Amino acid sequence: MSQYSDERGSELRALFFETAQELLQSLNEDSLKLERNPQDREIIRSIRRTVHTLKGDSAAAGFHELSELAHTLEDALAVETPNANVSLAEIGFTAADTFGAMLVAYRQDTPLPDSNPVRVLVQQLSSSSGASDGKASKVQDDPANVVWTEYERLAAQNSRADGKKIFHVTAHIDPLCAMPIAARQLVANAVSSIAQILGSRPEPGAVVEGQKIDLLLATSHTEQAITAKCQIPTVIGKTVCTEFVVEAAAETMPEAVELIEQGPGDAKSDAEANAGRDGKALGAQTLLRVDAERIDNVLNLVGELIIAKSMMQQAIQEYARKSPKDPLRARFADAMSFQARVLNDLQRSVMKIRMVPVEQLFRRFPRMVRDTAQRCNKQVNLQVTGQDTDLDKSLLDAIAEPLTHIVRNAVSHGLESPLERQAAGKPATGTISLDAYHQANQLIVEVSDDGRGIDVDRVKAKAIRNRLVSADEAGRMTDSELLDLIFRPGFSTADEITEISGRGVGLDVVRSVLHRLKGTVELETHVGQGTKFRLKLPLTLAIIKALLFRVEQRLYAIPLNTVAEIARAKEGDLHHVDTWEVLQSRGQVLPLMRLGQKPKEDAEYGKSKLFVLVINFSGRKLGLIVDALEGEEELVIKTLDDQTIATDLVSGASILGDGRVVLIVNLPAVVDRFTSALSSTVPTGLFLADGERGTALTAGVGQ
Amino acid sequence: MSAKPIRVLVVDDSALMRKVIPQILESDNSIHVVGTAIDGNFGLKKLEELRPQVVTLDLEMPGMGGLEMLKEIMRRHRVPVIVVSSHSTQGASVTLKALSLGAFDFVAKPTDVSTRMQEIARDLISKIKAAAQSRGIQIQSEIELPIPVPRSKGKPAAPKEPTRIVAVGISTGGPQSLQYMLAQFPTDFPGSIVVVQHMPEGFTEMFARRLDECCSLNVKEAQSGDLLQAGRVLICPGSRHMKVKKLPLGDIAILSDDPPVNGHRPSADVMFKSVAEEFGSKAIGLIMTGMGEDGANGLGLIKAAGGMTIAQGERSCVVFGMPKAAIERGHAMRVVDLEALSGTVQAHCRPGRAEVGKAMKAGQD
Repeated sequence: MSQYSDERGSELRALFFETAQELLQSLNEDSLKLERNPQDREIIRSIRRTVHTLKGDSAAAGFHELSELAHTLEDALAVETPNANVSLAEIGFTAADTFGAMLVAYRQDTPLPDSNPVRVLVQQLSSSSGASDGKASKVQDDPANVVWTEYERLAAQNSRADGKKIFHVTAHIDPLCAMPIAARQLVANAVSSIAQILGSRPEPGAVVEGQKIDLLLATSHTEQAITAKCQIPTVIGKTVCTEFVVEAAAETMPEAVELIEQGPGDAKSDAEANAGRDGKALGAQTLLRVDAERIDNVLNLVGELIIAKSMMQQAIQEYARKSPKDPLRARFADAMSFQARVLNDLQRSVMKIRMVPVEQLFRRFPRMVRDTAQRCNKQVNLQVTGQDTDLDKSLLDAIAEPLTHIVRNAVSHGLESPLERQAAGKPATGTISLDAYHQANQLIVEVSDDGRGIDVDRVKAKAIRNRLVSADEAGRMTDSELLDLIFRPGFSTADEITEISGRGVGLDVVRSVLHRLKGTVELETHVGQGTKFRLKLPLTLAIIKALLFRVEQRLYAIPLNTVAEIARAKEGDLHHVDTWEVLQSRGQVLPLMRLGQKPKEDAEYGKSKLFVLVINFSGRKLGLIVDALEGEEELVIKTLDDQTIATDLVSGASILGDGRVVLIVNLPAVVDRFTSALSSTVPTGLFLADGERGTALTAGVGQ
Repeated sequence: MSAKPIRVLVVDDSALMRKVIPQILESDNSIHVVGTAIDGNFGLKKLEELRPQVVTLDLEMPGMGGLEMLKEIMRRHRVPVIVVSSHSTQGASVTLKALSLGAFDFVAKPTDVSTRMQEIARDLISKIKAAAQSRGIQIQSEIELPIPVPRSKGKPAAPKEPTRIVAVGISTGGPQSLQYMLAQFPTDFPGSIVVVQHMPEGFTEMFARRLDECCSLNVKEAQSGDLLQAGRVLICPGSRHMKVKKLPLGDIAILSDDPPVNGHRPSADVMFKSVAEEFGSKAIGLIMTGMGEDGANGLGLIKAAGGMTIAQGERSCVVFGMPKAAIERGHAMRVVDLEALSGTVQAHCRPGRAEVGKAMKAGQD
């Protein structure tokens, strides 16, 4: 048999760390459930099963301390009548935390954390529930609890039948006596002159430490005589002598019978419970762990294929133009469309591999909300919906932190204290809802609370105080523009940073993360009624459906889902309001952003046509002025490194079938640039393109 | 070993175990893990699909648990199942339930698994090999196991001195066979039975309780100083040896922590030897189903001391190892199949029969 090698061991440990995290997660979840339904046996069983698996796994990985703690906990949880004073849920949380800390310690090879909190709770649990433990702790001094063997009891019975008295003598050896083993021998010898020793604990000659000796004696002498015999100065301290009640040697085991009676019933309910959960188990199973990198590779190749497809398509089109009568043309077209369809399916399947339900992210919130709520003395009810909505794994990981921040904010700032709430006529328990759903190729995550809402006036005051805007500017801003200020860097101030919410992530960071992901964050609030944050994300970062357009002869693209409509206009239709160019569209005033240069104001100026892409951005509508439209295309995004491109106005590039390079506009950055340009004077457009400098782009404001 | 490796299916809800167990098993060339499953539902599907020869089964799983799956396997597939059990009170109870449902054997995961990996690996591999060779557990199909019914054991009369001491050594396949045999003894059985069942610490107590539930005899896990009484069965606790001793007021069992014998503690050889020394012709040695050869020599000592020796017949053995060794060495005076064991033992325990036995023995010599 091969050695259990080191390499295998470390592989095992790596796997253990991974699976252990999942186990802890479900421990947390079950504890939360249990907190709500403390009497639910099925949840307790599920917790026990989790702890059980953790115990086995950690033992196999060689983490004995963890295994041992899990073992203790598992046994404590096996008690079927939990002590009402100790919350099992609390034990679950404490255990999850301790296990988590132990895992970290193992991983980093640092000293293990203190496991006492768990042990103390476990002890409380078992000490007041199981009679058995109570007995164990009493054993020390109660002579009745020394267990005499059947043979000894039989001997006692027989002696009694012979008319002798049976005594149980407990002699405590003087703590100063240096030789307790010899002392025991002395007592036994002394007593044996007037009584027959039927049994002795420790057994005669046993070389064990111990400060007392228990003797079972048969004698015709009195209790006093026995006690007197035992009093050996400086050797024996206290002596307790009691009459031994002899019962029939054949014993009954009521305790045992009880336990067994529970057995079959248990199994049955276990089975029932299991049957009930089969459906769910089926859904969550057959998992395959694959390195994310491998999937990315496949995805990249699919991307290349898509490019190859468009190359082919163009070649065929060209061929069709040149020889429209060739029957081969139709066959090419057929093959082409077939290939396109398969490729489409392939792409979708590969994308699906990377998709994971947002549940993976949402799972952590119940526990977090609970902890945060406890710390700020709030009562919170968390409602989670849409857990099974899919999202690209990398996106999921990326929004974890911003989302956590928003949820924490909702608890600590959004919701009022129970007293405040009652005063406002609301239920004391606040509600936070977490929802996820798909909408037009986007994932929407909403975090809403029914708290106090955000007071626009206070935002305004604070923004002015923090010099984000001048009082003058602020006066001209709409409510939604004012609210938008809370996403600005520097809005969140030091005096607001608490242990809970101020972890170095402000809402500005939330927004910048979302922008990096080509997503947006919006805010909706009503004073006294609550606040809703809405995060919008593309489903994947790798491939987007995009609208292609040209500015200054250069090709650009923006994600199609941001485009609300395309309008046509003439230069003459444009007006100026403040520093913005605007267009009157459908009865609304649409602020415009000009990406290219403004044409010379010659005679033709007023008539020259332009396209306006109406985009939805952070709940606002904005127009992008572009020169010409090129069509829709599925783009495989290639990220650009900083050396190729030195602007954040472009987030990536893609290659079209004919080999042309298209730059993908980073909309949030563009909008930002325009918005911040508001404060300067006479802005007109953004130079996106500079033919002289090839792919490198320069961007500037003004002329 | 045969050329074709043994096909094994591993069912465990722990991802870690689904990796570790196959690794352990495939370190032996004669075992091939054909698949793993996360719970009973998938286990059964894979069972149909992969047709393994042996299944290792974790009992604690969400979804369809181990016991449910085991029932299903026993009903439809009859593939030997080895339970991979954890070491806890709850674990012991469920494991024994599994054994009574027909699991072939079990392997206990101690808490210090990682340091004793080699040992556990050996244990598991040898049990899988035995399971693959066994013809499954026969008694399951042929015999209705007694259903535990609350029964009145009656107030035990004054403990009676047993007519004979029946020492039973048993291993793999033991729990079911023992339960089957013991259930057929009447309350007034005049002999006293001492049992060494190879089973780890912690499992024997629960095992004794279960047996006590479904037998008329009084069954208990032995403690030092327990009396060998008529109608009583003492099961040696795991991880200890059991010896017997004659004392003026009665015969008692004594437990010891002496080192393992034949790799076993408890060891049937230790018990048989002590029974032979103390009781001589009053002893009956019974060697039953199990791997290896523990007890074979001890049985010879009982025979030599004038006692009666019986080996369980091959047909009814789950693993014909220990009885085979005893028979081959000529230590078994009789070979009896499971169905008849209880009757045979009872016949030999009838009062006065010991003398007859001695006479017969004398006649043979």
